[in-house]
Amino acid sequence: MVAPTLQGGAFQRTAGYIPHVTSPRLEFTDVRRRFGRLAVLTGVSGAVEPGGMLHVTGANGSGKSTLLRCLSGLLAPDAGKIEYWEQDREDGAPLGMEERRRRVGVVAPDLAFYAELTVAENLAFFARLRRVPPERGLGVLARLELPLDRMAGALSSGMRQRLRWAFALLHSPRLLLLDEPFQNFDAPGERTARELLAEHLAGGGLAVVANPSALDFDHAERLELGR
Amino acid sequence: MRNASSWAAEATAVFVKEWRCEFRTRYALNTLALFAFTTLVVVSVSLGPLGVSASQGTAVLPVMLWVILLFSVAAGLPRAFVQEEETGTAMALRLAATPSALFCGKLAYGLTLVLALEALLTPVYAAMMNLQVASPGLLAAVLAAGGYGLAAGSTLVAAIIAQARSKGTLFSVLSFPVLLPLLLLSVELTRLAVAGSPAGVALPQLLLYDASVTVAGLMLFPAVWNP
Repeated sequence: MVAPTLQGGAFQRTAGYIPHVTSPRLEFTDVRRRFGRLAVLTGVSGAVEPGGMLHVTGANGSGKSTLLRCLSGLLAPDAGKIEYWEQDREDGAPLGMEERRRRVGVVAPDLAFYAELTVAENLAFFARLRRVPPERGLGVLARLELPLDRMAGALSSGMRQRLRWAFALLHSPRLLLLDEPFQNFDAPGERTARELLAEHLAGGGLAVVANPSALDFDHAERLELGR
Repeated sequence: MRNASSWAAEATAVFVKEWRCEFRTRYALNTLALFAFTTLVVVSVSLGPLGVSASQGTAVLPVMLWVILLFSVAAGLPRAFVQEEETGTAMALRLAATPSALFCGKLAYGLTLVLALEALLTPVYAAMMNLQVASPGLLAAVLAAGGYGLAAGSTLVAAIIAQARSKGTLFSVLSFPVLLPLLLLSVELTRLAVAGSPAGVALPQLLLYDASVTVAGLMLFPAVWNP
């Protein structure tokens, strides 16, 4: 799979982003998940290689968000196998669910932040939990043009989406799981987010994107989920 | 060593975040203060110094002190994890935090809240009820150990109920078996402190309870917090 066209150098210059140096890989096979009697995922399989993107499409209720939650480790599948490798592991084994959950970068509509804290305080808090310097998130925030001193509870829906992106990129993850990543953005916001995604892929990262509309990225593989 | 310091930094970040949010909303502080004040007034009016003889006071007043503490804590502490679920911040926490560090950070916050409540409430209660304490040192030890047990037990139960629907009912049902041994020991030790009798085996038993709840919390929390 070939990486998309945008170069990672621009991101590195403007936001101090550390480019990827290892080759991650994600494979999932026959993933199944039910909620009570409702079978949402009925044997979904796919794989993503370094620099590649999997575009998950499907109607409302087809299981796009559920699949991403399973891939992130936020939800355990009922059956099937999800394996995610990061090459810096000495034994070459895939990461466990707990470790995978902490390594991936997630943008999702139901991802919320502390309304009582400012944008900067929220990011500083999560940077401490992620064990990374907060400056990394601040660089992304500057690129997304998000006001640092505004309370998270006072952000518009578009601004909240920008904060989700900053949260997702805070620890320079190699795997991005993006559920409707461009919703609520204005045109400049969407353009910046698309650039960030392209640069992530150009740096050798990989992404799974659940988006109802087309994504004009080269070489994105498509996974259609049925209802 | 570096991992331990990173873990401690994570727990500290959770503790600081909790207090920062609390100072800005004052939800738990107001709830605890209001509940403590109301029950204190009800008890003092009903069982004031003229209504209880000295011998009856030794038997009854320690019980009432722990009843006030228990209900005040039960009104404020279950919010620790419930609020994270209700506001949607639980997802970001699950993605970023080490479960044990999160539990300890929340526990430290709950502990400081309980100790502050005890420090304010106990002298006022003793003065209003004309409660003479023969062994203030033992009383302080009981309040510290009992307060820790209250905070640890409540934090663990709060984590268990966070994802349930009937949170209030479930908290009461689950708290009963968890907190009952603690309350029995704390009441007995408070009686001994008031009477000036030696603590005997009750204090080591209370410390053993605290250790057990902490270990159980650290072992159970990842399972109840994560899917």
